[in-house]
Amino acid sequence: MGNKPVIIKGTKDGITIILEENSNFEDVEKIIYEKLQSGRNFFAGGKVYLKSKKGFVSEEEYKKLQEILTNFGMSLQEADSPKTLIFPKPNRSRVLLLKRTVRSGQKISYRGTVVILGDANPGSEIVATGDILVMGALRGMAHAGAEGDVSAIVAAFRLKPTQLRIAEIISRPPEDKEDLPQFPEIARLKDNIIVIEPYNTLK
Amino acid sequence: MGEVIVITSGKGGVGKTTTTANLGTGLALYGNKKVVLVDADIGLRNLDVVMGLENRIVYDLVDVANGMCRLKQALIKDKRFENLYLMPAAQTKDKTAVTPEQMKKLCEDLKQEFDYVLVDSPAGIEQGFKNAVAGADKAIIVTTPEVSAVRDADRIVGLLEASGFEEPKLVINRLRPDMVRRGDMMDIDDMIDILAIELLGVVPEDEKIVISTNRGEPAVADESSKAGKAYRNMVSRLLGQDVPLMTMENVEPSFFDKLRMFFGLKART
Repeated sequence: MGNKPVIIKGTKDGITIILEENSNFEDVEKIIYEKLQSGRNFFAGGKVYLKSKKGFVSEEEYKKLQEILTNFGMSLQEADSPKTLIFPKPNRSRVLLLKRTVRSGQKISYRGTVVILGDANPGSEIVATGDILVMGALRGMAHAGAEGDVSAIVAAFRLKPTQLRIAEIISRPPEDKEDLPQFPEIARLKDNIIVIEPYNTLK
Repeated sequence: MGEVIVITSGKGGVGKTTTTANLGTGLALYGNKKVVLVDADIGLRNLDVVMGLENRIVYDLVDVANGMCRLKQALIKDKRFENLYLMPAAQTKDKTAVTPEQMKKLCEDLKQEFDYVLVDSPAGIEQGFKNAVAGADKAIIVTTPEVSAVRDADRIVGLLEASGFEEPKLVINRLRPDMVRRGDMMDIDDMIDILAIELLGVVPEDEKIVISTNRGEPAVADESSKAGKAYRNMVSRLLGQDVPLMTMENVEPSFFDKLRMFFGLKART
């Protein structure tokens, strides 16, 4: 008779759900559902912290848990203790949001996705292990997927970089500087070449 | 209690010293303010030359910082303009001769006596720049309409914003409207797009600046100088007035206009 696959602890902040090492996710789901069902309204509006002794929780499992919890009116928080939630793609989960323009000589380096509400001026550098989104004009250097993620993208309202890098590939803009498009564009890697496509939000 | 404004740029040769001299003279002459110009470019001093006061230097900023003389002994009163003074830099030393703390104290002391303390910063981002901004409350950034100058100005804006300077102002110097029209030179909107700071004024390229520098007579006092007029407008804006930007079209006069000018029936522009 093994330990319970999941332990639910109450703390002053809310509740903590701890997934045991050898837990089977289906069991986990069932138990959580039952527990929450029995104390239905009691838990509503509460915060839930998730810890996993298995070392990781897959995106699918995380989503399922989130769904169950939301149905009971609770919100799943990101845990920040040693046994933290680890996603299969760690370099996308964290987001850095900068609400300013990045000026020449400034370097932003981040393990995760970088979103900039402003411009990135020539002479600035943005390096991210994940994606880079500039809600403004990208005029500097941007390096997405800096640790080798070839699926990373660079997107901007006005994509006019001095240099673009995705994973290991470096690329520069066309020599002909006339008539650069004034609509949002995305750069991604296709067959080891950086390809730029318009980003059409009006589907 | 006055305010200390540093005039800086990053790039060299864009017109910091010229701007400092002209704004300072303008504030004293037209704004009736008590103004001191401080040359923070130790080792490569120019403000004294541009102001025509180099023959009167006995003590300088380094002497004051090291306690070799009193503040008043180093100040040079400009005899042409009421209430205008100069604190010269040293020429035989270099930028390591003063520290930011010493500059801060100097500016604090000067603030007590003057309405405006204008600090002429050297080019660059190292010790000289750090000294110049140490005591300043506000900043004016000078640039020319060139990619390299704008790049450096942007770096400076970044450094200033990180040091807590709010809302630095921009001066665009040596604009050539004919080149802008041809598309050979950046226009004002392009520069504001990148730098995104408030525009204090635009100074057109003007031969009279070369002449005024050589003579040591700031162009702001010259009624016939276009650059001088631009500086006069900037002085008004600093004093709170709303002055529209000068139109800078240099339209070649038509034949009949030239004829009329020849006969004195039309003023020459």
